[in-house]
Amino acid sequence: MKRRDFFKYGLGSAGVAVSGGIGGGISEVRSVSDASYFHHPWWVREINRPKLGIDENVYSRFVARKNVFGSMAKYYGMDNLRELNRRSQEKTKKYYQENRPGYRLEDRALADAAWVISRQGGLNRGTRSWIRSFATTPEERGVDKYKADPPQAAHLIKTAARYFGAATTGVTMLDRRHIHSEERGKKIVFEKVEEPYEDDAKLVIPEKCKYAIAMTVLMPIDNIACSPTAISSAGSSMGYSRCEFLVAGLAEFIRGLGYTAIPSVNDLGSSVAIAVDSGLGELGRTNRLISPEYGPMVRLCKVLTDLPMTVDKPIDFGLMEFCKVCKRCAEACPSGCISYEDEPSFEVKGEWNNPGHKTWFEDSPKCLAYWQESTSGCSNCIAVCPWTKKDKTAIHEIVKAASAKIPALDAFFNSMDKSFGYGRQKSAEKWWKTNHFEYGIDTTQGKG
Amino acid sequence: MTMKDNNLYWIFKIRKRPFYIWLLRFLWVVWLVFWAEVALGSKAELEPKAFAISLVIFLVSFSAGLLLWVLGLRKFRKHKK
Repeated sequence: MKRRDFFKYGLGSAGVAVSGGIGGGISEVRSVSDASYFHHPWWVREINRPKLGIDENVYSRFVARKNVFGSMAKYYGMDNLRELNRRSQEKTKKYYQENRPGYRLEDRALADAAWVISRQGGLNRGTRSWIRSFATTPEERGVDKYKADPPQAAHLIKTAARYFGAATTGVTMLDRRHIHSEERGKKIVFEKVEEPYEDDAKLVIPEKCKYAIAMTVLMPIDNIACSPTAISSAGSSMGYSRCEFLVAGLAEFIRGLGYTAIPSVNDLGSSVAIAVDSGLGELGRTNRLISPEYGPMVRLCKVLTDLPMTVDKPIDFGLMEFCKVCKRCAEACPSGCISYEDEPSFEVKGEWNNPGHKTWFEDSPKCLAYWQESTSGCSNCIAVCPWTKKDKTAIHEIVKAASAKIPALDAFFNSMDKSFGYGRQKSAEKWWKTNHFEYGIDTTQGKG
Repeated sequence: MTMKDNNLYWIFKIRKRPFYIWLLRFLWVVWLVFWAEVALGSKAELEPKAFAISLVIFLVSFSAGLLLWVLGLRKFRKHKK
């Protein structure tokens, strides 16, 4: 049972035990219809539409190549890009010679190695293949496909997702505008077909895939706290590799139930938008998802499917008000790519932003340029966010709850967070001497 | 109570105090437990500054409360004589 639910369900169970017999108490708490272990904390409010609205006349499907990774040469210019790479290589050598902690051979080898599973997948490739790899279908087993009412199906999927490594899972009706219109030089289209497919010109998603399952994967907080070093980079890559395993496993599970599943990580569409719709968190100042349980310390992935499930609602836990006064990510950003504006707006910073939704848009090329400068990427904005916490002490839960309910305290909480030394860079050298959990994550976090 | 009883039992005497004193003592204990929990949790989280600050708050609060209690007790005993 979650710590935060102790009083709520503890008293509830006592009541059940008294009125219905001792045996009924625990099973009541863990019934499918209740499924309290998939609920957000009590201070998170469900809302009907995401808080930072969409301009219906402007928001549309994004061409994936416009993102900063797809158009680096265009945004920097070839000469600048070459110069950036040259400086990066020079610095890498210099750091080796200096034997600088966090940039040593072992640190960089770890960062590269943590990518290994993530590199097995791409848009409709490898672990992210849109078709079944080896799962036996119900037809092959000689049985009907899985049938359950939508709440039970949602519960089943969330349980399986947790088993494959999801920290939190949400379900939403797929808003097709979140899906890229074009990627890898091919159009992405919806057609009335039974199975997804790809040909020379297009990638086809069956129209029946109306549901999107969004999932968060917890990143190793002790790694990210070492940002910007190769140790923090290893934390990001570990997150991506675990996403890869998660979407591959969940997609095969759904196919094994007799339904279509399209697994995706950062490809195919905006995981952030789908996760916000699914109620996994709110958009923060970084224009990325902040989860109430884990802050920005998560990687996102998704699976599109035709399995009917109960959908979740977007949530509000006072993050927008907090981000307005905090600005810690903007202060900690060495490239200056994060907005200092008090209010979010519809005004984009460049072609790399998808217009038509309200947020604090980021200047992505500056961010990526610093990744090159630092020689090992950067996660400062994630490391310093006051919502990034381990949950070894109850004070974090108290502060989060108070912030959600009394926004007037946000500035005070932010300054206390700074005074207590949270978000300060940790030693990459000490990381190697720490007794880490498996995958560097504490899987009990956020679960009571 | 006889002399024989005195040899058989420990006898604790709790001085009668106004309600607000008991309330203050209760709040002091809650305050101490809270900061002790924060200190231990921060240590587990590998947050040295948070650990140090919460430990100092705990120790100062504990010592201050203890000092007030001892001073009050001494005053009471003097007054009794």
